[in-house]
Amino acid sequence: MTLSGYEALFFWIFALAAIFAGLLTVMARNAVHSALFLISSLVSVAALFVLSGAEFIAGVQILVYVGGVMVLFLFVIMLVNVGAEERGRDEIFNNQRQVTASLIFCFLLVGGVLYAVSTGYAGLEKRYPKAEALVGDQTAPTQQTGPQNATGTSHMTKDTERIGGSLYRYASLPFEIASILLLVAIIGSVMLARTLKQEASADDVDPEVLLEEVARDLELAKLEPQSE
Amino acid sequence: MNMLNCFNPAFMFLFQETDGSRLGLMKHAALNPDLSKFLVIGALLFIIGVAGVLTRRNIIVIFMSIELILNAANLNFVAFSGYLQASGHVNALAGQLFAVFVIVVAAAEAAIGLGIVIALYRNKETIWVDEIDLLKW
Repeated sequence: MTLSGYEALFFWIFALAAIFAGLLTVMARNAVHSALFLISSLVSVAALFVLSGAEFIAGVQILVYVGGVMVLFLFVIMLVNVGAEERGRDEIFNNQRQVTASLIFCFLLVGGVLYAVSTGYAGLEKRYPKAEALVGDQTAPTQQTGPQNATGTSHMTKDTERIGGSLYRYASLPFEIASILLLVAIIGSVMLARTLKQEASADDVDPEVLLEEVARDLELAKLEPQSE
Repeated sequence: MNMLNCFNPAFMFLFQETDGSRLGLMKHAALNPDLSKFLVIGALLFIIGVAGVLTRRNIIVIFMSIELILNAANLNFVAFSGYLQASGHVNALAGQLFAVFVIVVAAAEAAIGLGIVIALYRNKETIWVDEIDLLKW
């Protein structure tokens, strides 16, 4: 899997874009800016997925991350909008000692991870020498493509079909477990995000806590006879 | 140079000057990205995410950094999958399957985490992690 020509150029463009957008995500003062930089980082990584032959994952990445998760993030940011950090009154990072310690840790981690990548890569090359023989060969025999498109300029990929096949062939139990996980996550987040009023009207609050809250907030008292 | 030897295969593109490009667009074949470049990009994204988790005070930005970390792991899975596909490995799509499940877990984690953030904000009126210290003695 060695890219060349225009693919190599696009790889470097999107790789740099992903890394810089990632850095700006961490450094941005405004949380909304962070979210937008994270979106551009995710889109760049989706482009890298396309370059390494995973078109389906790239599409899922755009749909789920950018279309779903990031919209959720933006909603929550605007819901809990504190505004102090945007006006520059508040410190956005932890205190100096913690930041120094964690940056030292991160530099150690850079060294360790890059060392692991290079030694692991050497071992991989030793184990699959066949892949080296295919360097520069864009039409590897296993690269399955579908029929040509209407203009005849390119082939449609069979990636989605093959992923679907192997998802049900090798990973059908994890697939079902994932669906249950998502169901639990939906129910859990709905339960977590309820207000006290909603909890009280569903009769889901400890009676002692409810009495304390009623003493503080008279609007809740109207709900109380309902629940009893 | 001895120091650089430990980074041998992944960083040889810094030193190699062989010509093997197809379109002549990239003069150095060593600049052509292969698996090791994908892995290095994934490692850098991972470390940026770790730095964000460790240094930021805003809990929502910490969640976003976690998404960055999961995405770096996905990049590694997909890059290995492409490498094994090119080498004709039988079960080459396993990496992409893992990436799908990582995306599922990330979506569930984001939903639950943001639900917790909203519940926390209702009770404590803050999203700074150093002010959320109920469990701190």
